[in-house]
Amino acid sequence: MEILATFFNVGLVVATIRTTTPILLVALGGSFTTKAGIFNIGLEGQMLIAAFFAVIGSIWTGSSFGGMLIGVAAALAFALVYAVLVVSFRANEVVVGLALNILAGGMTISLMKAIFGTRGSVVGRGIVGLPKVQLPGARDILGPSYAQLISGYTPLVYVAFLSVPLLVLFYARTRLGLYLRVVGEKPEAAETLGISIARVRYIASLLCGLFAGLAGAHMSLGYITMFTENMSSGRGFMAVAILIFSAGDPLKVLLGCLLFGFADAFSLRLQILNFPSYLILAVPYAVALLALFALSWRTRPKLIRETLETMRNALAGKPQDSGGKLPSDNRP
Amino acid sequence: MIASLLPRNLRRTLAGQLLALAIALALGAVVILMIDENPLRVFATLMRGAFGDSEKIAGTLLQTTPILICGVAACIGLRGGMFNVGIEGQLFLGGFAAAWVGFSFALPPVLHVLVAVAAAVAAGAAWVSVPAYFRVRFGANEVVSTILANYVAVLLTSYFTIFLFKRPGGWSETPPILPSAYLPELFSFSRLNIGLLIGLALAVATALFFRFTTTGYAVTMVGSAPKFAEYGGINVRRAGFGVLLASGAVGGLAGGVETLGVHHRFMEGFAPGFGFDGLIAALLANGSPIGTIFTALFFGALRAGSLLLEVDTTASREIITVIQALIILAVSADLLLRRKGDRTGGRRWKF
Repeated sequence: MEILATFFNVGLVVATIRTTTPILLVALGGSFTTKAGIFNIGLEGQMLIAAFFAVIGSIWTGSSFGGMLIGVAAALAFALVYAVLVVSFRANEVVVGLALNILAGGMTISLMKAIFGTRGSVVGRGIVGLPKVQLPGARDILGPSYAQLISGYTPLVYVAFLSVPLLVLFYARTRLGLYLRVVGEKPEAAETLGISIARVRYIASLLCGLFAGLAGAHMSLGYITMFTENMSSGRGFMAVAILIFSAGDPLKVLLGCLLFGFADAFSLRLQILNFPSYLILAVPYAVALLALFALSWRTRPKLIRETLETMRNALAGKPQDSGGKLPSDNRP
Repeated sequence: MIASLLPRNLRRTLAGQLLALAIALALGAVVILMIDENPLRVFATLMRGAFGDSEKIAGTLLQTTPILICGVAACIGLRGGMFNVGIEGQLFLGGFAAAWVGFSFALPPVLHVLVAVAAAVAAGAAWVSVPAYFRVRFGANEVVSTILANYVAVLLTSYFTIFLFKRPGGWSETPPILPSAYLPELFSFSRLNIGLLIGLALAVATALFFRFTTTGYAVTMVGSAPKFAEYGGINVRRAGFGVLLASGAVGGLAGGVETLGVHHRFMEGFAPGFGFDGLIAALLANGSPIGTIFTALFFGALRAGSLLLEVDTTASREIITVIQALIILAVSADLLLRRKGDRTGGRRWKF
């Protein structure tokens, strides 16, 4: 029991929230492009370049906020290139995304060597980390040990988690949200309605870049203030995996990200038990793979799905419903 | 016969790729200026490092070998409509499997090499088989699953190397393989080995397969027009599975050739980025195995040249990754293709 107590405590929840934040931010960004019908594999690169320029920016401007802005600007530049090639030039989105990821990796290492004269990582040198927000009154209400559950995070943690309900409202209640969904689900209908598909997809890509930029800034200026070669280490790809099985739905994205955040936080704790570190490092990727495979079962062939549907209806004594009512169709 | 192996509208394709190359090199020059280096000096150093003397040329060919084999692996996938981004992981597992056979068993000379290579091929195919199964059976996106599998493969081989087979007192590497498992070397002055010939033969064989066999034609159709292939009575799923498996097997072979021919042991990070370089080479060659020979040579030269770059200038060798990425971006824009038809339709990558 004692060993369980060292694993499952308030600290684990706090660690989960921390590790969830960057992947949640980048996955929410990807939800814009997913909803608009673009398969964006370039999230990884946008995050990495933002993390690097956030560090540069915070050194130049001497403030974490300035660093964050410059990081986001770098991610937006990548998102713009992505949109120009994919939307205007109609290039293959996988090829462009992979190329931009490789570009981000090579560029950050080259620039790091040119600016700092080192390989590997940049630590110290006047990097300013994001401040920790102490919520007033949290201590009085929850007591000293539980106050850390809601207080003392960087601002981006709050931004990430508050964005989830905001995005739900955005997709359900705003005109742009509706346009995004139409362009993604039925581009022909969007064209008939006179919606500019290209413009909507550009907006989606840039919104995606904004969130990926925030995710990158949180990686390098959040709880650790440093930049390391390829420090995004596959988080962008995990986000893409989440986007595939959540179809960009913000609530499902949140659930998926919490799963990965938990896997991350939990695997860090496993190191106490002297498990080989290489296997522990592989845990989040393995979880992502398993989730991708397990949930792809949902998209099993239509024939099986419809047979199951009719069988369920017959068992419930309902009349046969030939319309394609999908459970995911939960619009207001 | 060789002419018939090349793409049909060769001139247009070549012109397009060369234009893309020029744009990418111009952009690369801008990036090099950004890091305070002289682009001409950097390019000259790259060329000198790649083709300066016979040893350097052998070094270029040595770098070309894994890129070429990985490129053929990528070509097989691309022709069958599958993006195997997991060649890197298959390479690592193939390399480890070959090394394991190499140092664990004592076999007669030629047989030892054959068994080790077979182990590498099997490891590569086995590693891709799970993503491939879920891809064809349930449509689980193969791009993401193979990328994630790369991370697992690299960490897994590191675990094997350091925790199970570490050479006592050594670096993070396995014991050396027995000399009976060495691939024969071609020249006395370089580690260049018959792996290069294996790669060339494989590229030509793959091109012949796609050009002259019924199965090859069927696979190409599954890749470019799956509906048509299905009407033609081809089992699209089985073809897709076979394509990924073959691609993974070749990826594993690349790793085996690298450990048996060059390093003679498996070590952590023994072949960084070769899988991705191969994919890029295949994309630049537009999915043609014969074209991949030339693009792999180009990227091999860049890699070999980058070693001298690190010594002679302040630029980092990763600048060549930047140039490679820019080339692919420029190629993907496909500036010479006239855009036509519907504005809503899907994206394309023509083969």
